[in-house]
Amino acid sequence: MTKAHVNKLDDQDLSALLDGEEFLTDQEIAAKESATLGRYALIGDVMRAESEDDFVLDISDSVAKALESEPVYADFSQKQNTEQTTQASDNVVAFNWRRPVAQLAIAASVAMFAIVGVQTLPQGDDSPMNEIPMLQSTPLTGVASPVSYSSEPALENAEKGFRELQQQRIGALVLEHQRQARVAYSLEKAQTKAQAEEEKK
Amino acid sequence: MKFITFILSLALIAPAYSSDEKSAKELLLNMAEAVHNRNFDASFVVVKGKSMEPYRWLHAKQGETELEHLSLLNGAGLEIIRIDDQVTYFEPQSAPYSIATDSIAGPIPEVLFKNIERLNQEYDFVLGGKGRIAGRPAQLVRIESKDEYKFNYWLWIDAESSLILKSAYVNHNGDMLEQLQLTHISVTEEPAPLLLEMLNKEFPTPLPSDAIAQKTDNLASNNWQIGWLPDGFSLLKSDRHKLDLNNELTDYYLYSDGFVEVSVFVQRPLPGRRPSGALSSGATTIYVHNAGSFDVSVVGNIPASTAKTIAESVARPL
Repeated sequence: MTKAHVNKLDDQDLSALLDGEEFLTDQEIAAKESATLGRYALIGDVMRAESEDDFVLDISDSVAKALESEPVYADFSQKQNTEQTTQASDNVVAFNWRRPVAQLAIAASVAMFAIVGVQTLPQGDDSPMNEIPMLQSTPLTGVASPVSYSSEPALENAEKGFRELQQQRIGALVLEHQRQARVAYSLEKAQTKAQAEEEKK
Repeated sequence: MKFITFILSLALIAPAYSSDEKSAKELLLNMAEAVHNRNFDASFVVVKGKSMEPYRWLHAKQGETELEHLSLLNGAGLEIIRIDDQVTYFEPQSAPYSIATDSIAGPIPEVLFKNIERLNQEYDFVLGGKGRIAGRPAQLVRIESKDEYKFNYWLWIDAESSLILKSAYVNHNGDMLEQLQLTHISVTEEPAPLLLEMLNKEFPTPLPSDAIAQKTDNLASNNWQIGWLPDGFSLLKSDRHKLDLNNELTDYYLYSDGFVEVSVFVQRPLPGRRPSGALSSGATTIYVHNAGSFDVSVVGNIPASTAKTIAESVARPL
């Protein structure tokens, strides 16, 4: 009963024993180095899919679980960073800031956008606004409600044309106002500076 | 001894007073300073009647350089980038261009981040109540017009960070016409990487501001007399140019009282019998006046009645 004797024992026999093909007839087997025994036992378990958690080969569930507990960031900056670093390497690209989506939009859409909310002018019961006529303007839906237009089709068409003209003009005016207002502050600063200098003289 | 006690008590009382209630103006100045010096990433929406515009607003101070990025998130979009005193506008319908100015002309009136003393003559600064806005304690500051020709502007300022949390154009009935509300704000130690990236970009060179001013002098048109404007408004610019969208020629006048801008357009009349009338979107009013041989349109964040009076005061010079 020495270790040397155990080593002589064929590994094949050990394997057969674990598979239930041989019986534990010899006490020597128990003395077999536990590491080898344990490894064989584990292999057997996995083959029969009896292992509980260590050797789950189907990991999709555990991944899904891990993803669920992952905190969600509403931060898109990372994505943009990668985009920009690729751009930065290309020296020619200076103004690719805007995503191409923006280029699809036509000019008029911005102006229309500015007037869509138009009909909802708040009218207090006793406000002086009630004295001011309100123009009807629904450029996008096309169901403009005329106040007192003729019902004759020809005239109606002409009126519709005029309305569209006015609509376009209003859109252009709003856009122009927005743009001009951008220089207002610097203009004002320049003016006050000039005035201050004149007063000094 | 009595005298010393008196002095001491004064010294004790004074700070107690000042720390208790900050004046409306102080709060606004603090806000301006906070907006210029903090690194933050904020989102806000502007509600105009039934329409709504969401924006993202980033600001950082990198060393002595201020970086700011404001972008409109819906529709065709609009991106505004500021690096110190150069503001670049990216719009879908035109090439990007820069203006030499140190503030972005966005939905928040620029003067609020600047010298509000400028508004003393036409507006009162009033401290309002405290409230909770965007999940943070906030203090209301009301900027009230001294006459009925302009809207009031209310601001809710974060009690801790002094940053703006909400603002609104309010008419004289107390109705909110256009509201701006922050939905999220995070103040960080480090500037956002997106903003630092801007430093490596090239932007169009702006026209020097004196050049713009000189240009106005040359083109000052005496074509029309604008008879009436509310007190405090002064002419910033006048010229004759074509409108971008429909290529119509217009005589153009830009006025400002330091807080809101008003544009006056005088144009050839459109065909057909067009009635005069007003349109509005949020606080912006468009008044179209048919004066017979010419059309006057007034656009600005002013009440419709004011726009009407301005439009009707326009006449040919004698």
